[in-house]
Amino acid sequence: MTDVPEINPPNPEAFLKEARTLATHAPLLRAPEKVHSVFLVIIVAACLPLAGGVVLFGWRALWVVFVSVVSCAVIEKIYFRVTHTPALLGRTHAYLTGVLLALTLPPFTPWYVVVLGALFSILVGKAIFGGVGHFLWQPALVGRFAIAVITPILAPMLGTTDVLQPLSWGVLDQQHIVFGDVKEVKTPKDYRGWKLTDAPDGTNGFAMPHPNKVMSKLWLKSDDNFHNFSSIGTVRDDIPNRQCMLFAVLPPVSDMLFGARPGGIGETCSILIIAAGLYLVYRNYVKWQLPVVIILSAAIVVSIAPIRFTGPNGTMETVWFPMFAEGIEIGFTYVLYQLLGCGLLVAAFFMAPEMTTSPVTTGGQVIFGIGCGSIAMLMKLYMDIPIPAYVAVLVMNTFVPTIDSMWQPKVFGQKHFPWLARAKK
Amino acid sequence: MLFQRYGKFTGGIDVPEEKDSTVDKPISIPEATDSLRIPLMPCQTLPSQPTVTVGARIEPHQRIAAAMKDGIDIFAPLGGTVKSIDEKTIELADLTQPKGIPESSIETSWSDLDSVQLYQRLAESHLPTFGARGETMMGWINRAKKSQANTLIINAVECQPYVTADHRLLAEFGSEVITGSAILGKTIGVSKIIVAVDETHTDDYTELLETNAQYDIQCIALPRKYPIGADNILAYVLTRHEVPCGQDPESIGIAMAGPAECFSVYRWVVCGQRLGGRVVTISGMHAERPGNYFVPYGTDIHELMAPAEEPFIIGSPMIGRLCPEGSVVKPSTDAVVAIDPTIVGVPSQCIRCGWCHDHCPARLNVAVLNDHYELSDIAQAEHLGVLSCVECGVCSYICPARLPLAERTRKLKRAIKRRQTSMPLFTPAPKPPESDR
Ligand code: SF4
Ligand code: SF4
Repeated sequence: MTDVPEINPPNPEAFLKEARTLATHAPLLRAPEKVHSVFLVIIVAACLPLAGGVVLFGWRALWVVFVSVVSCAVIEKIYFRVTHTPALLGRTHAYLTGVLLALTLPPFTPWYVVVLGALFSILVGKAIFGGVGHFLWQPALVGRFAIAVITPILAPMLGTTDVLQPLSWGVLDQQHIVFGDVKEVKTPKDYRGWKLTDAPDGTNGFAMPHPNKVMSKLWLKSDDNFHNFSSIGTVRDDIPNRQCMLFAVLPPVSDMLFGARPGGIGETCSILIIAAGLYLVYRNYVKWQLPVVIILSAAIVVSIAPIRFTGPNGTMETVWFPMFAEGIEIGFTYVLYQLLGCGLLVAAFFMAPEMTTSPVTTGGQVIFGIGCGSIAMLMKLYMDIPIPAYVAVLVMNTFVPTIDSMWQPKVFGQKHFPWLARAKK
Repeated sequence: MLFQRYGKFTGGIDVPEEKDSTVDKPISIPEATDSLRIPLMPCQTLPSQPTVTVGARIEPHQRIAAAMKDGIDIFAPLGGTVKSIDEKTIELADLTQPKGIPESSIETSWSDLDSVQLYQRLAESHLPTFGARGETMMGWINRAKKSQANTLIINAVECQPYVTADHRLLAEFGSEVITGSAILGKTIGVSKIIVAVDETHTDDYTELLETNAQYDIQCIALPRKYPIGADNILAYVLTRHEVPCGQDPESIGIAMAGPAECFSVYRWVVCGQRLGGRVVTISGMHAERPGNYFVPYGTDIHELMAPAEEPFIIGSPMIGRLCPEGSVVKPSTDAVVAIDPTIVGVPSQCIRCGWCHDHCPARLNVAVLNDHYELSDIAQAEHLGVLSCVECGVCSYICPARLPLAERTRKLKRAIKRRQTSMPLFTPAPKPPESDR
């Protein structure tokens, strides 16, 4: 969009003339919602999980959000000044991208990493495609993906000179949770839930294993400690089952719901994400089918996908149907942890339904959602990817033009579905 | 007898109704104007040939132009002197006072006439129809007879915002409208007549309900949801048969008429009166005298609306168009609305929100059609069923990018109909000045 004159333009006469040349045909009424207001409403909805993140993780989270939003806006402004690309929709969408990027970032991300993410979001995610309405991948996820790829490479080069020294890259690895203004952190062996455990003397927070880290790569053989429960010493004798051992190192389910767990700023508080998502569904900015299908397909995949991990006696054990292997209750808890533990809810309610990068028709969105949900869970279980849900959305975004051209609705008065067919030239 | 409740369709929206200022205003007489410019082409037929000369004194309801081919004769709505004649209009000055809708006086008992006699009587009437399609009454009857329609639907739903002309006709002349529909039904030979009205206004239609029992006519109240009054959608809601892509309800044996046609048919067949005007709703926030008026054909719209300022919209804002200089009231002018079209805004690019598709009553994927429009890919647009579009304007209304989608689908339909596939459809709009808003 080049420019959107306000409803009360400075020169009403000229604008009236222009509007009349543009609008010689019906309808001459318009719904109040414009592209800008659509983005604004999504920003407002996204602020809900962000607020939850700020409450849980402290002021540093707010700083990350601020850096992300400002750098997105500034980078877009500079890009526009340089290239004069007409289709950059301007500030509102840049703010939205910044907010969504901040949703996915851990709270103690150093500022230069955030700026790096914003750079990739705006330039690679949006600008090179020509701006709003043209991009193929959800821009905030492009930025997040770039961070996930680049930071492990950059980390040794930069050294550990950051103020957040003990944590800096570890947080980005999404292995730890920190509450409060962190100067000193301990890893409590007996963490039993937020509000239930006092921080040990002399520390400001807990460093917890990231649930995503614990619950993912359950098929890969690795020497990662989290896969070898006997070695971290948290396997308790009173937990008889193998899957239960997974939960022994994780926060309780209530903490998973309320967000007191490691993760991105807006990723952890599931309740608020769902509330914000329901608001978007109510406003018709998100079709309810898409998040439902994503979550359902993810749940189905994790409940039947076989997993494998090191048991207490040191051998690799395979669980074929995790949902039913050790009783439905444990299976259900396992699925719940898998769904809540990664950014799946953010992906389902904020990232996948991004209007430009999702299919137009409801049928297309269902296909898209099935792809997102199942790919996310397959990546999480079988591949070494730190942000499986987001990568799954990016993968499916790539196929959106194909889905869009294949899946056409059955039009009023047509006898057949026109999908999969092209007109004869 | 009560109104039956009925039906749904996918898509559609709630358009602000905006009828409060006119819905209770009885049909009245507009202020007298100086001159009438009576159109010689009230319908989409060949223009009629004037039979009067400049300077002649004309009585009310005198014939002033003779039909060409399948057109209609033109009758002067008011008395006056012929001031000038050109290809499209006859201008009358020194007018007699407009009288409004005359008292009804029963001259003929229509129930004695059989359908052939009624057909002949209507053939003498030279009535137009009042829809946007611009047919003559005989053209419509012939089409309905040819398709062997077995159902006649009187479309009085009036889902368009601002327009209350049909509503007032039903409220004030309900029994005449019903009788008119019975006459039309008998002429075409249908087995079933349905009168569909809007359920929010049913309290005013007591007269209608008293009459319909005599003729075995179904009265159905439909919920308000734009565009339930579009012919194809209404036919689907009432009969559950989808009109095939690009065709009229007639193709599935449903004839569609409006209350204005029924009323004029009643007045002609039963009373022998030829109404020289139609009920026009004048509304909108800039209108000086909102209300429903019985306006003679040929009244200049700017004079009718004076002293309100331009711009005016002929018809409802959802399907109408801006009133060009010197337009006059025609049979299809159901409303003149004075609102600011500046709210339309400047189009930007599609963000693929899919709302146009969600709300399209024809379930068209308008976003993809818009792509095909920009690529001039008419064959693919036709394959995707663009001919099913009922031109309701919902897609443009709802589009957050302010794209003129309804206009584009209309152009695609026209291009398909004309097979002008070699011509580029899309001429890029002149670039607005750069800014980084
Ligand atoms: S409503 Fe407008 S912006 Fe949304 S998909 Fe349709 S054309 Fe695109
Ligand atoms: S495409 Fe046609 S039928 Fe569909 S919403 Fe637009 S104007 Fe109405």
